[in-house]
Amino acid sequence: MIQRTAWVSALKALPTNKLLALTTKLSEEWTLRPKLLPQSGLGMMKLKDSAFNEAFYLGEFPLATAWLEVTTPDGHKAEGAAQVMDDRVDVAEALALCDAVLSSQLPGWEKVYNLVEQGVALNEKTNGERKMMLARTKVDFSMLDNVGDENAEA
Amino acid sequence: MLKLDPIWQADVQQTNFRLLLDAMAYPGRRFTLHAVRNEGHAALSVLATLLDAEVTLSDPYDLLSSDDWPMLQAKATSADKADYVLCDASQLPKFFPKLGTLSDPEQSATLILKVNKLGKGEKTLKLSGPGIKNIEILTVAGLNTEWLSKRDDWVCAFPLGVDMILVDDQHVVALPRTTKVEVV
Repeated sequence: MIQRTAWVSALKALPTNKLLALTTKLSEEWTLRPKLLPQSGLGMMKLKDSAFNEAFYLGEFPLATAWLEVTTPDGHKAEGAAQVMDDRVDVAEALALCDAVLSSQLPGWEKVYNLVEQGVALNEKTNGERKMMLARTKVDFSMLDNVGDENAEA
Repeated sequence: MLKLDPIWQADVQQTNFRLLLDAMAYPGRRFTLHAVRNEGHAALSVLATLLDAEVTLSDPYDLLSSDDWPMLQAKATSADKADYVLCDASQLPKFFPKLGTLSDPEQSATLILKVNKLGKGEKTLKLSGPGIKNIEILTVAGLNTEWLSKRDDWVCAFPLGVDMILVDDQHVVALPRTTKVEVV
C-alpha cells in the first residue's frame, strides 16, 4: 500500500477532470460535511537571509485547504483532509474526499487507489526526466586539471 | 461537491457584514439577517460574518456546538480576554469584558447577545445618541436588564467600553458604546 503522505501528491499529478469525475461519482449518495471551512488563497513563504539572518518573504503561492467528514448511506463515517498548492477549493475538497475514502476504505476505494498508483507512476516518470535533465547540465571540472596554464611563463 | 450552509459563503457574509455596519450606524434599528434558516442560527451567522483566525471568541454560556468552533476558526479564550463574547441575554452577566485602552479603544470586546425576540417583548428601551434622530424605541423579549446596568458601567468612560449586538432568531440590533439606553 502506498503511504498516506504520498496520496495527495500522486492524485495531484493527474488531470483534474479525471479526479473530479471520480469523486463526484463516488459521493453521489454520500453526505459530506465540512469540518473546517474550505478555503483557497495565497500562502507566504518566509525565509531568512544568510547575511543578516533577517526574515523575508520569498513569494506567494496558491494554497487551498479542505477537511471534511463523509457519511455513507449505511452510516459509516470517515474523515479526510488535504492542503495543496492550488487555487481551487473544489480540487482540495476532492483530494480530501479521496483521503477519507482511502484511509477508511470506503466503497470505491480501489478506484481511488488505482488513481494513486497512476499518479505515483507519473511522478516517478517526471522525476526521472528531471534527473536526466539535471545530469546533462553537470559540468566536469576535473578535466581542467589536465590543461596547463597557457598564460604561464615558460 | 461539498455543500456549505449559506452563512459560510462569501456573498452572504458580505451582505450580512454590510447589514451589521448599517446596524452599528443606526443603533436600535432592527435589521433582518440574510440566509438564516432556523433558531440559533442567526447568532452563528453574525459570528461567521465577523470572525476569522485572527480574533478570539468566548462562549461562556455554551451556546455553540463543538462543530461550530473549527468553522469559525477563532481562537477560544476566556470571556474577560475575548474580542467577541457570545452571551445568553436571559441569564445574568458573569464576566468583565475587555474595555480597550485609551490609546487603543478598539481593543475592546463585542458582545453578541442572544435574545428571544426583537421588536416585541416585555422590555421597552429608549435609545438616544449618535445615529439616532431624537429617540429610538426598542422592545425586546428575553433580555435580563442586568446586562444594561452592567453596560452603563462598562461604557461610562468613553472611548473605553463595549459594543453590543442583540440577535434574535432572524434579526439584529446594534447598541454601540455611544448609545444611551434607558429602560422605560
